[in-house]
Amino acid sequence: MALNLTINTSDPPLGVLLAAEHVKNAVQVSVEEGKDNSLHISDSIQFSDANSICRYLARVAPALGLYGANMMEQTEVDHWLEFSARRLCDQPDLTSALGDLDKALSLRTFLVGRALTLADLSVWAALKDRSDWPGQGKPFPHVSRWFFFLNSQAPFSAVGTKYGRQKS
Amino acid sequence: CAIFKGTTNLDALLGKDLGALRDIVINANPAKPPLTLLVLHGLLCQRYRVLSTVHVHSSVSGVRPQLLSCLGPKHADSYARHMFQLGFTLIWKDVPKPQMKFSVRNMCPIEGEANVARFLFKLLAPYPSDPALATLVDSWVDTAFYQLADGSAKERAAVLRAVNSALGRGPWLSGPEFSLADVACYCCLLQNGSAASTAANVQRWIKSCENLGHFGPAQLLVK
Repeated sequence: MALNLTINTSDPPLGVLLAAEHVKNAVQVSVEEGKDNSLHISDSIQFSDANSICRYLARVAPALGLYGANMMEQTEVDHWLEFSARRLCDQPDLTSALGDLDKALSLRTFLVGRALTLADLSVWAALKDRSDWPGQGKPFPHVSRWFFFLNSQAPFSAVGTKYGRQKS
Repeated sequence: CAIFKGTTNLDALLGKDLGALRDIVINANPAKPPLTLLVLHGLLCQRYRVLSTVHVHSSVSGVRPQLLSCLGPKHADSYARHMFQLGFTLIWKDVPKPQMKFSVRNMCPIEGEANVARFLFKLLAPYPSDPALATLVDSWVDTAFYQLADGSAKERAAVLRAVNSALGRGPWLSGPEFSLADVACYCCLLQNGSAASTAANVQRWIKSCENLGHFGPAQLLVK
């Protein structure tokens, strides 16, 4: 099965592109450039928001565990998907969101469980879009450690370099 | 309730029971009662022995009596926590959005009615095993809470058109089975009062939802 993902080139959805990059050995995803984000599944089902596309990609490659290892981890992933969409995007002031994120990461390497999940992908993508966050007055040491740890890994650096620059 | 098949084994879903009551603690703002969570609470009570309690946090005052009794009468055996499978503790509190704390040593606090609803629903019935159908359910849940409940009049009208057209293809929003998509959309329509003036398929679906009898707790609170 090959999936056709169309992305909005003027505002590339980094979280979706990262998810597509992670599942590429399990399912073939071809990326087309266009005006809107959409993943076409069938005549009656297509997804156009980033969280739905990410959820679908994680579910077609269950062995990767991107949606968490059990029901409680799934719920944490859901929490972070909403957090990235609602509290990190479209918010002028990130201070309180970054404070919450810093607290959550203080004893964790990854946001949920002991491995990479959609939570890491979508929160990283939202922060990558916000070049202003490292300088927002207060230091967020755990967010920085986690962000730059992911930043240095192959799919993150590749997606960040290829699409991150188109934004500014 | 016959409409939900499947899971009743909490150990399989939540990990081994270590002896303490599994308590689901929910903080919610009395200015905007989380109707979906109250409906799901009612369904959980049909499936499990649930010890339900309501508290009022010092950050709010003058909470309506309906909200204090929204989880039903106090249980006669409430002193014997070991007799219950689940605890459901609702705290009326001045929070911007509903928040759930469960198994706090393993799980971060969960924010957002949509995410708490997903968790509670999974205790009742598994999500569809088909990735597209499961994601369709989640997508309707997001639409319900972001656009139907909080959106502008224009956004709401667009969602209602989408709901109407989805209901032209099947009896329920995400296909042949009643799901969390229906619970969330029904409750959000009820909350913002736009259930009255809508298209034919939506009206038929509202009737079907009401016939199930699951929505009593939500209907009581919006009267």
